[in-house]
Amino acid sequence: MAIKHSRTSSSPLERADTGTPGDPGAFESIFLEHWPRVYGLLRRLVGDDAEAEDLALDAFLRLYRRKPSGDGDLNVGGWLHRVATNLGLNAIRGWKRRQHYELESGKMDLVDNQPATPDELYAGAEERQRVRAILVQMEPRQAQILILRHSGQKYQEIAASLDVSPASIGPLLARAESEFERRYRAVNEEKG
Amino acid sequence: MTMNMHLDDGQLRAYLDNEIDAPQDQLAAGEHLAACPTCQARLGELQARSESAAHHLAFLAPSSSTPTAQPQLEARPAFARFNNRLNQSKEIPMLQKFLRPRTYAAGLVVVLLLVIALSIPSGFAWAGQFLNLFRVQQVAVIPIDPTGLMALRSDSSLGQQISQLLAQSVNFDQKPGAPQEVASAAQASQAAGFSVRLPDNQSLQPRLVVQSGAAFNFVVDRARAQALLDESGHSDLVLPQSLDKENISVKIPNSVTASYGVCPDPTADNSSSILGGSNGRRYASCVILAQIPSPTVNAPPDVDVKQLAELALEFTGMTTEQAQAFAQSVDWTSSLVIPLPKNAATYQQVTVDGVTGTLIQRPADDAPEFALIWVKNGVIYTIGGLGSNSDQAIAMANALK
Repeated sequence: MAIKHSRTSSSPLERADTGTPGDPGAFESIFLEHWPRVYGLLRRLVGDDAEAEDLALDAFLRLYRRKPSGDGDLNVGGWLHRVATNLGLNAIRGWKRRQHYELESGKMDLVDNQPATPDELYAGAEERQRVRAILVQMEPRQAQILILRHSGQKYQEIAASLDVSPASIGPLLARAESEFERRYRAVNEEKG
Repeated sequence: MTMNMHLDDGQLRAYLDNEIDAPQDQLAAGEHLAACPTCQARLGELQARSESAAHHLAFLAPSSSTPTAQPQLEARPAFARFNNRLNQSKEIPMLQKFLRPRTYAAGLVVVLLLVIALSIPSGFAWAGQFLNLFRVQQVAVIPIDPTGLMALRSDSSLGQQISQLLAQSVNFDQKPGAPQEVASAAQASQAAGFSVRLPDNQSLQPRLVVQSGAAFNFVVDRARAQALLDESGHSDLVLPQSLDKENISVKIPNSVTASYGVCPDPTADNSSSILGGSNGRRYASCVILAQIPSPTVNAPPDVDVKQLAELALEFTGMTTEQAQAFAQSVDWTSSLVIPLPKNAATYQQVTVDGVTGTLIQRPADDAPEFALIWVKNGVIYTIGGLGSNSDQAIAMANALK
């Protein structure tokens, strides 16, 4: 029996959003073009290959499933970077929530994926954890701008991700860095 | 840009990155800076702050000594995995619902298995399997073609209409409450109202959660259900007239789950939209044992369960002959029927806990899953987990006391 289930659904592959209407290869070329940077960004943010790939795939799935919105000039790269950093920050928040339970069951492993380590490497892991903790506490847009800029993006690209004008990146970045420093100091003072 | 006035922080910050919009402005800013000690001092502060942030954020870069450095940077294989996942996520929601960790987390594995027929959009059709189901005695698996149910995804317009129909025809006598954590098997038994069994071969204490049951009834509106069938392109499937206005009531008892290892928080709503590879790693140690006394379903005797089952099977894409043959092979009044998408999962019969159980395995590169289901003394048991090591589930089942 033939099932007619595709009457109303339109494949995002064919959406004007993703470039070439009617071209099934359009999404593939978008994927191939943007994957290395989206994945690299997440790898940096979450620090774990498997999780980074998981989140990056999720970001592309969301792009794939994105409802056509009529904004034909969607900046795909910017959109992907914004969604990816959001997913990464959310994932980190998730880890924090889980921590108490994992500690209980003796499964807590800060340096999960690292080779067996001397103290030095452990200190690195601790610092990474501290930086992530600060990022997730910050206002999301500030955290995003820090992550994007410090993974080497140009103002133009960051502006596209955050959907603001390039001229506002300077002021936003200055504020974000100032806020980051303030929080970093506060954490260190707490530690004594 | 007017350079008589001091530069503000934003301009200075952009200057540091050589990112002032127009080249002539970048130049002009440089000239102003050369002549303005105030701005120079401020620039120095911003630079120190920026470098400090850069230093801290640099710790996020993955260690280059990791042996598996950057394996996924290759876009081509990643695209293959993307397609994999895309296909995976197209599987019918019910398989995901009962095999995915989120479901274990809600402590609802068993309850979901049982209410699936009524809660998923195709409810009225699958409800066939529960009519006259007074006591579950065994488990039957039906391989189905998931593409046949794609139209019923909850985000499709047909799916929404069916959900609406169900919402309007179902009356709850007792709604399921929030999961309640308890400290021991004795407490769980007391709270759930049946004798809870735990394995005696586990060194770790499980996390025990009692989920209260539910009771509801619904009146079949045959005309509306038929209209939806027609709309889905199934006007060849005709619901029996006798079904109209029949009152069907369902009672689902309290259930208990015992979680071993690192499992998702049973009270958290993990809203991740798809099965994820990282969950497979994160919860690789998680095994959840769930138990629930058989639910009871009451339906008037003139409801022909087998006929409805055939309709449901045809709906999933079977031919009339296949559906008849399958409907014939199952005792619909005593079987818990699990529709399993073809190609997405395999199943086999295994002997556990002194009875015959069904082991369902869902192979996947990133997160293989298994579920072991059996019925003993009127209680339905499932053990589910991630990974492909189902031996531990069988060992656990055989160690139940």
